[in-house]
Amino acid sequence: MIRRLLVANRGEIAVRVIRACRELGVETVAVYSEADRGALHARLADIAVPIGPAPAIDSYLRVERLIDAASTSRADAVHPGYGFLAENAGFAQACEDAGLIFVGPPAPVIATMGSKIESRARALEAGLPIVPGEAPEAQDDAALCAAAERVGFPLLVKASAGGGGKGMRVAHARKDLAEAFAAARHEATGAFGDATLYLERLLRKPSHVEVQVFGDAHGNVFHLFERDCSTQRRHQKVIEESPAPWLSDALRRRMSEAAVALARHIGYRNAGTIEFLVEGRGDDAHFYFLEMNTRLQVEHPITEAVAGVDLVHAQLRVASGEPLPWRQASLAQRGHAIECRIYAEDPSTDFLPQAGPLTVYLEPQGPGIRVDSGVVEGDEVSIYYDPLLAKLVASAETREMARERMLAALRRFVVLGIKTNIPFLIRVLEHPRFVEAAIDTSFLDREGHGLCEQSAGPGLEAALAAAAAHDGRPAARAAESPAVADPWDRLQGWRSGRN
Amino acid sequence: MKTGIFSVRLGEKAHRVTITAGGEARVDDGAPLLVSAEGEHTVIVREGDKTRRVVVSAAGERRQVFVDGEIYDVTVGAEIAGRRRAGRADSDHLAAPMPARVTAVLVEAGQHVRKGDVLIKLEAMKMELAVRAPRDGAVKRVACRVGELVQPGVGLLDLE
Repeated sequence: MIRRLLVANRGEIAVRVIRACRELGVETVAVYSEADRGALHARLADIAVPIGPAPAIDSYLRVERLIDAASTSRADAVHPGYGFLAENAGFAQACEDAGLIFVGPPAPVIATMGSKIESRARALEAGLPIVPGEAPEAQDDAALCAAAERVGFPLLVKASAGGGGKGMRVAHARKDLAEAFAAARHEATGAFGDATLYLERLLRKPSHVEVQVFGDAHGNVFHLFERDCSTQRRHQKVIEESPAPWLSDALRRRMSEAAVALARHIGYRNAGTIEFLVEGRGDDAHFYFLEMNTRLQVEHPITEAVAGVDLVHAQLRVASGEPLPWRQASLAQRGHAIECRIYAEDPSTDFLPQAGPLTVYLEPQGPGIRVDSGVVEGDEVSIYYDPLLAKLVASAETREMARERMLAALRRFVVLGIKTNIPFLIRVLEHPRFVEAAIDTSFLDREGHGLCEQSAGPGLEAALAAAAAHDGRPAARAAESPAVADPWDRLQGWRSGRN
Repeated sequence: MKTGIFSVRLGEKAHRVTITAGGEARVDDGAPLLVSAEGEHTVIVREGDKTRRVVVSAAGERRQVFVDGEIYDVTVGAEIAGRRRAGRADSDHLAAPMPARVTAVLVEAGQHVRKGDVLIKLEAMKMELAVRAPRDGAVKRVACRVGELVQPGVGLLDLE
């Protein structure tokens, strides 16, 4: 087993990995920027190394500083978490070159699957259906029209060089093409200086379904079933659940097997997720490969809940050279789990990220409730990083029970001092489309606006009375006595007796 | 826990909240509620059989309030502070305009005062503030002591 692990990340995922290490007897090294001095993840680790000023570009994204930190703290392995450098092949390679074990797949695999063109080619080779599309060499209108016929309608005319929704136009039929090409070219030139176009079929109200895969260095590749992540706002996931409630057993089996086939084909190792778009329901449902994420995902806890596994433990075992302790035939999904991402964002101002002190922060607890967070009451939330404060996971025997359990938990998740999306999450979970499990990836963007505004609820009178009755003293900072109940979390610099 | 009459503003609307020493509260002309404090943030609000745990975070006059997943941002002030209600003789209940410490109480109950007389001296942010009689009258009740830290809106002195 790895002896000492450096976690090249922050916030809730760093806390998650550090806790898993403690369970396995692995020593931990945290890194922190100036804005994260005193942050929970830095306090929980055995050793904490400062790595620079607040902006990520000057700290968490500095490859050489991270390698140095590993060297000075005598770590033998590095876990990249998610985001930051987790899918940066250069970082994985730098770790390997420095003699550090990188907890993830080999660098060349990260590079291959990080390329849209390469990953789609590998998926085709492995027999997966891919979202129909073409990047024609010849860019004149005639050639593009011919490509469009092959791709099929409706389609998206996209800027090859692009992203962020720029340089994209929808064409519903052949007659729309000329104008779509002209408009997309114009916007693409303006935004990216490159008018090269790419055509991709526009799926009708697709769902986003991803499959968790895992490989080890002994030739074993497993799948741990799927997650439905269709509740997204501007391509950012908000709520995830497992199993995908409307997925037929046949489709689940085909998608899981396809995911394993691809992972095997590319020689995948450690944790990964293959993302699909699914169009239609029941017998008319079709799935298409979208992309692969060569890392642990934010929403991994819902797979842990329904499959009864610990994915971070598994990551550490694989990185240590051990075989995975599973048999595909004995892995199963049981019950239902839902995850809500708690963001420091204000729904009523178009989800503007919030910064400020967490004057009150009280996590819900109870059967079937799990909270993964990187903050405690009294912490100062800054604007330098992703505004994810915590993940709230509710699991139960059925989807409806999990949904009710989640609502009750959200109603007692008290966060004050900054605004969060908690009131918005409650409204989404109560929405009839969510209750019916009829969410597609465009649902929130279409109907979310109505769920953002705060209207007076049944607790208004009590709120007004309490506001007047309260003595007006500001909350004392809880930095010395964190709201975390675990006494082990308060020990600092405590070693397990090893050198 | 505070007692008195308060103006609690949510958005454009101001609500009148009355709280007695016994913990009975009324919002506008609503049903009676029972309020009690628990710890530094929580206020228990009971209406009939229903109990709600409300969490309050305070900063100056502002309160951020959490109840059952709803969050409200309100400001709490004196119900009848002269500067809030133009055109009304709000001169019966005098309150501090900001959190302050009482440094001197210059009158007592029953005493007659004239408009402009300094009744109470406060200190806040290194400045001395004088609470003056807004009109001629008799002091009905002095509701503060020297050395006490008072919050805005809480009554300091009542005139007849």
